[in-house]
Amino acid sequence: MKRGFALLETIIVITFVTASLLLLYGTFTSMIDNSRKNILYDDATNIYKMYYLKEYLELNNLHSLEGEDIREITCDDFSFSSCSALMNTLSIEHLYLVRYGLKNYNQDNYASSFNEYLGSLANSDDYNYRLIGEFMIEGEYHYASIGVSAS
Amino acid sequence: MRKQGFTILELLISIVLISVVLLLLLRVMMSLEVINHDTSYASDDEIGRTEMIQNIESDFLENHLNGIEITRNNDSTTIRFLMDEEKVLVINDASITYGDEAYTLKSSNARYDLCIDYEYMDLENDYYFVKLRIPVLIDGENTTTRDDLELTYLGLKNENTSYLESFSC
Repeated sequence: MKRGFALLETIIVITFVTASLLLLYGTFTSMIDNSRKNILYDDATNIYKMYYLKEYLELNNLHSLEGEDIREITCDDFSFSSCSALMNTLSIEHLYLVRYGLKNYNQDNYASSFNEYLGSLANSDDYNYRLIGEFMIEGEYHYASIGVSAS
Repeated sequence: MRKQGFTILELLISIVLISVVLLLLLRVMMSLEVINHDTSYASDDEIGRTEMIQNIESDFLENHLNGIEITRNNDSTTIRFLMDEEKVLVINDASITYGDEAYTLKSSNARYDLCIDYEYMDLENDYYFVKLRIPVLIDGENTTTRDDLELTYLGLKNENTSYLESFSC
């Protein structure tokens, strides 16, 4: 008479347990992703930084850069000499002026983290553009944005 | 006679399969451990931090910040915000008092660093930018700036504007 588990029985049980753990792993991974997004997106400090930057750039002809769906803004677009130092102090690596509510664009031209952030934004307010800051903080990209009304 | 229990091959295969499952489980646990470490402060005090930043920055904007004075004492650091309606922020190990509101850290392993970072920058056309960072120490170390209380202001100079060029504690 056979005693204990047969190999087949053991494999079936292990397969079942593995499938359950894989499901759990998938759930935890998505929870971890969401948790990371909460940390990386729209931190209060970064939102205020974007607010002040927008106010200052508007005094320096930010509105003349409007027109494209997504425009990467650099210090070459402005005439004030402290631009680079200001961006460094704010820890901003890239700055984008994006048409408000933009859904369809060529995502291949942009970093996947930028595409994810843009996809996560609500479009319920009445702005023409949004100024998006890509902050490099401790080796990770953080994002924050502020609405811009057309001139 | 029929065999009884496992053969060595069956045992080996079972152990290998169980090891794979345990490795997967370990990986999940390690991810959770990292997240827990990174957010141990944030989960407990993130709301208080955000409220503080919003309250202080709103005051900066509504009452026009014109200057900052910083005084370092033995057990506290006092920051005087020179605005239309002057406000004082006092930093202690475990709490911050701003005006008549007090925020106490809830995370048992967190405390404020009394040695704050201060940065002032002149911009074109009489504008200036100022940044103030109050570091949060977790178990005595500032492992990430993510939880720090960072305040910024960009304003236009006037006859009352009075800022420190730098501050060192």
